[in-house]
Amino acid sequence: MTSVEDKFEESKKLGLQIVKESEEDRLMTLSVGPQHPGSGHFRFTIKVDGDYIVYCDPDPGYVHRGEEKMCEYRNVIQNIPHLERPVIHDSSNITYSYSLAVEELVGIEVPRRGQFIRAIASELNRQVYTLYWLAIYGIFLGHSTMFMWPMGDRELFIDLLEALTGARVTHAYNIPGGVRNDMPDGFKDRCMRQVRYFEKRLKEYEDIFYNNPLFRQRTEGVAVLSKEDAIKLGVTGSVVRASGIPYDIRKAEPYDIYNEIDFKVQYMKTGDCFARSYVPFLDMKESCHIIEQLLDKMPQSGEVRAKLQPNPKGPPGEAYRRVESGRGALGYYIVSDGTPKPYRVKISVGSFRNMLALPYLLVGQKLADMPAVYWSLNYWPVEADR
Amino acid sequence: MADQVKKRFGESIKVVFIKPLRIKIQVDPKDTVEVATFLRDTMGFDHAESVAGTDYPKENQIEVIYHLGSYTREDLAAHVFSLTTRTNRDDAHLPTLINVYKSVEYHERETFEMLGVYFEGHPRNDRFLLPEDWADIPPLRKDFRIKGR
Amino acid sequence: MATYPQNFRFGEFVGSLIWLIFWILIIVTLVGLPLLFIILFYVPLPPIGDEVLTPYLFLTMIVDPSRTIPIIEHLMTTDLFRVALFPGFTYAALIAAVTIFVERKFLAKMQLRIGPLYAGKIEGILQLVADGLKLISKEIIVPSGADKVLFWAAPIMFVSTAAAVVALIPVAPGWVVADIDVGLLAVFAILGFFPLIALLFSWASNSKYPFIGGMRALHQMIAFEIPFILSALSVVILSGTLNLTGIVDAQLQSYWFIFFVPISAFVFYISSLAELERIPFDLPEAESEIVAGWLTETSGMIYGLIQLGSYVKTYVLAALFVVLFLGGWAGPMVFPPEVHAPIIDISPIYDPVAANATLWFTLKTFGMILLMLLPRGISPRIRIDILLHTGWYKLIVLTFINMFIALALIYGGILGPGGLLVR
Repeated sequence: MTSVEDKFEESKKLGLQIVKESEEDRLMTLSVGPQHPGSGHFRFTIKVDGDYIVYCDPDPGYVHRGEEKMCEYRNVIQNIPHLERPVIHDSSNITYSYSLAVEELVGIEVPRRGQFIRAIASELNRQVYTLYWLAIYGIFLGHSTMFMWPMGDRELFIDLLEALTGARVTHAYNIPGGVRNDMPDGFKDRCMRQVRYFEKRLKEYEDIFYNNPLFRQRTEGVAVLSKEDAIKLGVTGSVVRASGIPYDIRKAEPYDIYNEIDFKVQYMKTGDCFARSYVPFLDMKESCHIIEQLLDKMPQSGEVRAKLQPNPKGPPGEAYRRVESGRGALGYYIVSDGTPKPYRVKISVGSFRNMLALPYLLVGQKLADMPAVYWSLNYWPVEADR
Repeated sequence: MADQVKKRFGESIKVVFIKPLRIKIQVDPKDTVEVATFLRDTMGFDHAESVAGTDYPKENQIEVIYHLGSYTREDLAAHVFSLTTRTNRDDAHLPTLINVYKSVEYHERETFEMLGVYFEGHPRNDRFLLPEDWADIPPLRKDFRIKGR
Repeated sequence: MATYPQNFRFGEFVGSLIWLIFWILIIVTLVGLPLLFIILFYVPLPPIGDEVLTPYLFLTMIVDPSRTIPIIEHLMTTDLFRVALFPGFTYAALIAAVTIFVERKFLAKMQLRIGPLYAGKIEGILQLVADGLKLISKEIIVPSGADKVLFWAAPIMFVSTAAAVVALIPVAPGWVVADIDVGLLAVFAILGFFPLIALLFSWASNSKYPFIGGMRALHQMIAFEIPFILSALSVVILSGTLNLTGIVDAQLQSYWFIFFVPISAFVFYISSLAELERIPFDLPEAESEIVAGWLTETSGMIYGLIQLGSYVKTYVLAALFVVLFLGGWAGPMVFPPEVHAPIIDISPIYDPVAANATLWFTLKTFGMILLMLLPRGISPRIRIDILLHTGWYKLIVLTFINMFIALALIYGGILGPGGLLVR
């Protein structure tokens, strides 16, 4: 494997060459476009020589809605509902980071019980997103049972979240200052029961999917992303943890009460597709432990939301806060100029950063590996387009 | 850490603020590549997390900020170093950092199309997220009005 | 139905009745009667018992059910019955239809869901009827630049080839449409036509994804035909004949062949999964990579025909497995030698041997079909290079092992004429 730059240049040369001299009609251009069962709402154009991919060019923007621009027209609380839309089922994480940045700008202190509930909602959302990701990974490889089981288990988590926040997805639950409302009665026992049931289910997932020899044959050794390349390409989340770098923002820069929770960062050293598909699974297992600890340590009563003025505003300044979401480090860079509306909001999403690894990894792979590699990068097209 | 950078470069950079885990410095456009190389090699910030552009029409400038993080060094894991440059709003040119940090390729392309900042040396300065038939000014500029409001 | 009912007018009702009677009279006199006279004049009517079966005799016989028995008995000896009804197309199509429904329910139970539930009163039994009606009512879109002749002809060829193989499978002793001496060879010859149909159809679709799918279908089916034939070869060695009925007779005399050549049975099973393009071998239709493979441009009834052909092929290959390895129709006799029905005397058409054979054959075929449906819930899709590697290297070696075992059994005098285990 040559270095990143060499691979890029080689592939770009091949792509450009064929476009210019079209008498050698060997390459076939396929558009794995937005209307493709193997790509989601995202287009990437690949050129195929026989069965091998020689050139890949991602072209996002199908679902671009101008989130960052819209943030400048609303005040900080009004931004929450539309900021959730990039990832509807992981919505508590994408607003968590925003709330943290705004709290730093305005200077709000979140009460302790609110911090715990925020962390619980964040972990539940991480389970929901990872289950959805796992289901789609199963169907990309043709495994219909692995599509149905996570979707079914996900429904149980969504029911929990509905009891907590009032909506199945797009909760609008995290706001700057805490959460919107307190937990209902009996939620704690229900959540514990659900988490314990889910841990048993995770063993079954491992049996049918991860220990399946066909799955292992298809993903082991495919599209290896070495440690140096991972650092150079700046990928994040489970992709970088699968290449041997144990970087998790919950451990590296603990926010809220994560410094009181005891958990291990899950990572693997091989960096192939199997590692990238196994690390989120390990994350899910770890998340179950985290939820149990959070539920145990939570204070019994207290405020869940800090009192805010109707239009919270702070001194001019800027803040950059990050949160570990299902896809990686989700960072918010907010510039405020003293008015209630933010001056500039920049969302740095994990999917956008992981997209850089796609052309790098796909060149030289077989066409049949394309869905496995593409989805193992934990790429959510809507989020990358914002 | 800010002292290290100051020692190396002296007056050509300006430290904007130093917070517990965040440092922000501002450099001239012509020095960005040098400073970035220094940050990567000597101080250990090995990847760029994001590239953001902010439009300040009052000062007639566009500020491009690179957030740099570190995967390899444990003590810098929580730090995010912000490297910023400013350029004129009407004729926005900046040297690209793609040879220093590979990860800024798509971010700089997006900044180009959203704000109109041309990165010299970047292999592809063209449309990324916007639709193919975009015929308006770059959207993140302050004088762009969302149609229909 | 969201239409507004019109007001009922008696005059219009009577008018519509008269209109209906008018049209019936016109069609009967102008079309029906000439047709009847042509039939009576030119078609030789069969003798039943000792009378010629005229339409008048037929109508009187219908009135008294006990007198229809001779008609049915005569009908069962005609060729038309064999081709269209019993071991022929209707039987295969019924099993295919039941297979489709059972597959959906079976998979659903494995995947913790329910499957079709609403069509039909009992657990969605009429789902197939609903699907068939839906497919018939859809528009068939032919892509521009597609080869129109091939595009329309290929699905029909697919179904007819699958149905042609049905003609060779014996269901009960004496109940086979075409009793050829080289029956097994004919089966493989016809089965070898399928990769060509897939390739022709994908080429005629004039689109990139079907092209890739067609290439994959070609590679896959051709790669697995050789282990297919070689594994059947061990059975031919053991039984000494290529005639399918003869193979079953050889198993009736000794034990089922699956005990002697289990590896061949295993290889046959895997190869038939590959021929059927079932998961884990459904690369030609891999949905996430190449949209629907060579079936991408099918819509409406063309898709329905291809699915029907595919499931009839499933029946055929499962039945072939039963005939070759599981003893065909062997099984304990559960039908009494004579049946006394209360009103109608059905002894002329009651054949306990045939009924018993059919029962066991159907049960075994159905069990085999269930075994073929099972991997769909368990495995992901295999990749083309692993597939070809398996097909060309590993499976052929395994069949050779079993061929040597079969030869050893024959030459050692254990099987074959006068052998130790022959009853």
